[in-house]
Amino acid sequence: MAQSGDQVVDQIAQLNAARNLVLGDAAFYPQIVNGVLPIIGAQARVELRRWGTEFLAETFASPAFATAQKEQLATNVLHTVRSILELPEGDQLVLKNIVQAAASLYPLVFRHIINHPEDKQSWEHIEAIKQDILRRWDSFSYPVKMCCIKFAQRVVLVQTHGLIADPRRPEHNETSLAIVPRNHSILSLPSLEAESSGLLDRILSVFQEDTSDPILVNATLNCLATLIRSRQSISNKIISALLNFVPARHARSPVTPTVRVSVKSMERTTRAVLINIMKRNPNHPLVAKMQQHIERLMQSRIEHPDETSRKRGLPTEPTDGLDAAKRARLDAETPPVIKVPPLPAGRISYAQLFTLTEDTGLSSFDVKQLPADLLVKIVVPLLARVDQSSLNQVVDAVRMRYQTVQKQQLGQPQPVAAEEDDDYEPEYQPMDVASAAPDQAGPVSAELPGEQPDLVSLGPFVLPRPPPLSEDQAAEAGRGAVARVFGMLGSTTVSQNSVKGQGQQLGFSRLAGSTFDRDAWVTLLTRLATRAPSGLETGPKPEGDRRKPRISDAIRETLYRYILEDFRGRVNVGIMWLNEEWYNDRIQMKLAASNRTEDNEEVSVALNYDPWVLRLLDGFLPYLDSRDIKIFIRFLSEIPEVTIPIAKRIASLAKDPERVNLCVQSFMYLIMFRPPARDICLDALEEVYQTYEESRPSAGKVLTRWRPQRIEQLQAEQTTLVNRTVEPQQPPNATFTNGVRDPRTAHLANSQ
Amino acid sequence: MAYDPRLAGAGTAAQAPPTPPPPPEAAQAPNASTSLGGQSDSYKLRFCTVCASNQNRSMEAHLRLSTASSPFPVISFGTGSLVRLPGPSITQPNVYNFNSTSYSQMYDELFSKDERLYRNNGILNMLDRNRNVKWGPERFQDWVPGLPRIDHVSKGDKGALGTEGGVVDVIITCEERCWDAVVDDLMNKASPLNRPVHVFNVDIRDNHEEALVGGKAILDLATRLNDTAVLEQKALGAEGWANGTGEARRSFDEKVPEILASWQEKWPNLPALWTIAWL
Repeated sequence: MAQSGDQVVDQIAQLNAARNLVLGDAAFYPQIVNGVLPIIGAQARVELRRWGTEFLAETFASPAFATAQKEQLATNVLHTVRSILELPEGDQLVLKNIVQAAASLYPLVFRHIINHPEDKQSWEHIEAIKQDILRRWDSFSYPVKMCCIKFAQRVVLVQTHGLIADPRRPEHNETSLAIVPRNHSILSLPSLEAESSGLLDRILSVFQEDTSDPILVNATLNCLATLIRSRQSISNKIISALLNFVPARHARSPVTPTVRVSVKSMERTTRAVLINIMKRNPNHPLVAKMQQHIERLMQSRIEHPDETSRKRGLPTEPTDGLDAAKRARLDAETPPVIKVPPLPAGRISYAQLFTLTEDTGLSSFDVKQLPADLLVKIVVPLLARVDQSSLNQVVDAVRMRYQTVQKQQLGQPQPVAAEEDDDYEPEYQPMDVASAAPDQAGPVSAELPGEQPDLVSLGPFVLPRPPPLSEDQAAEAGRGAVARVFGMLGSTTVSQNSVKGQGQQLGFSRLAGSTFDRDAWVTLLTRLATRAPSGLETGPKPEGDRRKPRISDAIRETLYRYILEDFRGRVNVGIMWLNEEWYNDRIQMKLAASNRTEDNEEVSVALNYDPWVLRLLDGFLPYLDSRDIKIFIRFLSEIPEVTIPIAKRIASLAKDPERVNLCVQSFMYLIMFRPPARDICLDALEEVYQTYEESRPSAGKVLTRWRPQRIEQLQAEQTTLVNRTVEPQQPPNATFTNGVRDPRTAHLANSQ
Repeated sequence: MAYDPRLAGAGTAAQAPPTPPPPPEAAQAPNASTSLGGQSDSYKLRFCTVCASNQNRSMEAHLRLSTASSPFPVISFGTGSLVRLPGPSITQPNVYNFNSTSYSQMYDELFSKDERLYRNNGILNMLDRNRNVKWGPERFQDWVPGLPRIDHVSKGDKGALGTEGGVVDVIITCEERCWDAVVDDLMNKASPLNRPVHVFNVDIRDNHEEALVGGKAILDLATRLNDTAVLEQKALGAEGWANGTGEARRSFDEKVPEILASWQEKWPNLPALWTIAWL
């Protein structure tokens, strides 16, 4: 039945509608493909075959259509595909589509055959398709050839060993020889592998041809990355083929714009492939070579346009503004060559080594005669203006001289330690000195006449031992070191109390000074002050007076000032320090006691706790105000020992009516929570009570609780005093006694 | 497949095919006719334009190609990791995610942020243009070639007709960096479709003026490519490919380097690059 054009138009419209359906929902694919197959077969008109083959290619490539279903459907279409391919007519578009479809079908059918060895017919079809494509490959037109390359790549991919991602789930592994059972009835591993190896050679042969065609080369290049990435066994072969491919070499004929486009595209694509491989596998053994090849490609690309421009002759005027600048720089880059006179024979001095001028007047000039500030004025601008290349030349000249001298000396029998030569950096000094060589060479050699022979031989240079430090110098250096550590405490670079920030309490497993934060440095300092020099400085101390401050005292002094600078914030530092002092005092006393048993002599121990705690208190008490009560009580509670002098200092706070409360509350705290210091504090509080009238309300309240008898006695005294002055007013303590709930106090109040 | 099969010559009678399968319910959908031109020159290459953010250069080209007197099927992408638009200073760009932020959202946000600034630097105009072209910027690396794009047709994206199959014949990038990224990404995708694609780069500086010039140049390149492809289709018509001679027998693919070379001579300030890769 003849078919009119109109009918074809209608049919294609219907087919397009069907295609739109499957694009919308891939579930319709099996139904539509099976329905379409009879319409687009080998007997159909070319328009329908074109449509049909493209539809098949699209179907089996579609990411929306599940692989398992594709596999099922694939065997249904093999016969149609084969018969269209074998048509003598050979429509280019149909062939292009067929080869594309075959490239997608091949892995699907291969997998199907692995699992269904009994389906000999499907294997026969796909084998026939494969062989037909491979046989006609070279005779196809370019668009079809391109697709043949891709088809061959698919076949190679399938017929080599791939990675087994998960042996337990074969359906997840990609299709490759690795999943073919060894005893498969149809698929013979060795012959499949041999075929793929031959195919790979055929794919790569495009790089060896004399006139490489950019279409085929680029099409090949762009499908190699996948092979290299997923097929270890053949990757090196492919990479070495790439490394031997230089597109520019293939373009000898007249360089037309088309050739330039082609060469550039092949170069850039080669580069893209190599970069893709290197990015995926930076540890590939051939990375260095690939890198090299990329550079070579870029080089050849630079040369290529050069060639064409040379033929056209130089442009008459600079094509851009930078040109003149470039030329100017070129001129500047060839400085006059500096003449280097040879060294005199025999032994030479440093002065001779560095002297590059032949002017005897200049070389004998002693720079030391000039004042230093004048020299600085001369040398600094000189250095700023010295020409870099001249400087390099001069440095090289001196280096050469040095090396030849060294060689000469190696020839002479001289016991020179070779390793020390390596450590010694010969370039360093010449770099600094070279330009100012005439200035400094003289002084250097003049300064050390005694060691001249050694210097001249240029053997290993040993720094002279520094003179021993005097005690003052050592102390000075020590203070410097301490000042530096304190400087660090003040700076913000040391992290602040990181442990606190973490909210993690280390408890008893804490190791002092192990966190390297600010606290750690404080710990280090306090221990340095208290423990490090103990035993070392106790000896001379009794005989000498306090004339010379010792290093530990220097640290203490600095610590003292450091704390006073901000005693509210650094009270913890003070507590830590005083605890260390107290502990050290105990250790010292114990040590002294054990020593005394031997020679039965009075050994005095310098105690540091008492004087420093008082000094610190004296230091900050004047600045303490009533709001500092928490800090002050913390201090008092955490220092290791409260002594009578300390209690006196606390009592002195009561002088200030504003701080009476601070004083009394501090005492109250100590009385309640520091039993060893209770009596001392009660005594001091009594004194406060007696001395300062303002304290009586609060102090009386504390005393009533802890020393009821004494308070009665004191109050009796007070009453008599009050009576004697004939004041009609109530005694001062009456204001509070009424409100007190303590039965004892209440009783006292009533008794008044 | 989105292109129209040629309808030339009723010519020789092939054997009558069996009746087509019963068209499914949706068979008569209006877009069934979209790819039918009835003329052989209705054949259209499908294009894809790519720049860094899918905002300026690729969108200008997208607009040009999709609104040409004979419009091309076109989709567009960006290769950057994020969509970056200029902000109040060079260090404060406005950054958006690909695929999930529409041009309209960006427009509204920048409009409310500082209308004057973004009006003056042309960002609002650009976004306004873009939102009339398609919904939002798409990232090239997230594109799955071959995945149907029917929804883009229904959304009314410009140039969506003909790209329902999610494949293109030509990719045009606007910067070498993007060309590198596209070629590299196509290799990483392992070319599951086994389908060749021409990848061009046309180097365009990223500003509004250059984008206009570049868009014009890209349209020129696309027209030249398409004209050649149409010639090929014609040559392959009723007479059959075997009957052509000489120049006529050379395929479209073969001629691409020449087309690019002659195009380059006309546009010497937009250095071009090309390769043939796989989708």
